Amino acid sequence: MKSLLLLIGSPKPSDSTSESLGNYLIQQMSARNCETKTLFIRPAISTDERREVFLSATDKADIIILASPLYVDSLPYPVTKAMEMIARHRQTSENRNGQQFLCIVNCGFPEAHHNDTAIAICRKFAGEVGFEWAGGLALGGGEAIIGKSLDKLGFMVRNITKSLDLTADDLANGKVLSHQAVTLMAKPLMPAWIYKLIGEFSFKRQAKKHQVYKNLEDCPYQWKS
Amino acid sequence: MKAVILNGSNKDDSVLFNVQKIIYDELGSIKWEAESFILHEIKIAACQGDFGCWVKTPGVCIMKDDGQDIAGAFINSDMTVLLSPVTFGGYSAELKKAVDRLICIVSPLFTKIGGEFHHRKRYSRYPILIGIGVIEKADEESGEIFKKLVSRNAINFHAPHSASEIIMSNEDTEIIQAKIRKLFRAKEVRQ
Ligand SMILES: Cc1cc2nc3c(=O)[nH]c(=O)nc-3n(C[C@H](O)[C@H](O)[C@H](O)COP(=O)(O)O)c2cc1C
Repeated sequence: MKSLLLLIGSPKPSDSTSESLGNYLIQQMSARNCETKTLFIRPAISTDERREVFLSATDKADIIILASPLYVDSLPYPVTKAMEMIARHRQTSENRNGQQFLCIVNCGFPEAHHNDTAIAICRKFAGEVGFEWAGGLALGGGEAIIGKSLDKLGFMVRNITKSLDLTADDLANGKVLSHQAVTLMAKPLMPAWIYKLIGEFSFKRQAKKHQVYKNLEDCPYQWKS
Repeated sequence: MKAVILNGSNKDDSVLFNVQKIIYDELGSIKWEAESFILHEIKIAACQGDFGCWVKTPGVCIMKDDGQDIAGAFINSDMTVLLSPVTFGGYSAELKKAVDRLICIVSPLFTKIGGEFHHRKRYSRYPILIGIGVIEKADEESGEIFKKLVSRNAINFHAPHSASEIIMSNEDTEIIQAKIRKLFRAKEVRQ
């Protein structure tokens, strides 16, 4: 039986798109007879004791899946920190061969290719620490999901679920991600103009709720003219 | 003219401090002021991804710590230098912690740049963005990723000009000086 470790890279404690994507994939992997475990990176590396548990989980897993948001064209700070820790740990530990590593990176802009640099960093990380690179899935427009179960989102996420189903088949069979899975994940969830409309409406509504609607584009650090 | 250096070195990394000294010297030679933030010595909370800096306290992170000062220094600089050990092609965690906290300097509303979605400017002017990555052994792939990352950041942060350079930690001082001088003597910087 293969063991799979899902690492959630979103710093959000709940309602993250990373969690929705990761959860769907591990459900598919469980159905394919894999043992699964999920760790949220931010709390998992917050104390020495937890770090030990985290690192030992990365030692044991046959497949490690990182589900992370894109932060400023790369991976969020806690994910970067965790990668540095794993690299340091693996310099002194006895590493198993054949552990697979893959990532699912989602971003806020509608185009999936914003995630390319983050995926390149993941690939580099895998190579440097001795994981087998199984590939990277990039999703644009991730803010349309925010923690909702993919099973409940129906038509909008049809390409995502197809991509993750294919990924589960491939991983269960010891393969790397298929080109088709990558292509399906990168398909837009909706037309970009609709995404923009909904996205801006949502930010404005939240600003209204906090009574700062009129301040939305304030320049509090304007020290220089 | 004023430059801000965000130094993402890890503790005990003497190479990056030497590089920082060269950066100071080269900036001094073109009569620029410089201020550096040694990020591992500074308390900066990790971004929580709640967009509080857009929808609760627009333009300022809700976490009151040095991350706020860094955002202020960044936007008020004429040039910000991101100095980091190249870490899997990207920035060190120390630098990334500060960079994640910079999204307050753009608007939550969208615009299109080069056909792609990005966030609109919040301020009327933004600093030039320079990336300097220090690497232990020659690794073309890491260097490419680092340079790409800096150029992508420059688009998101509306930098009027951006450039980056990779420095090998065992390189002679004169070579490092020449590389940094080239970055700072570019016509887009001297304008
Ligand atoms: C600090 C920060 C930086 C971000 N940088 C980018 C970016 O460079 N490009 C992008 O498309 N989205 C960016 N986003 C948006 C997130 O990637 C997007 O909200 C994502 O769906 C969050 O995923 P999660 O729910 O799994 O955390 C950023 C968000 C935050 C909070």
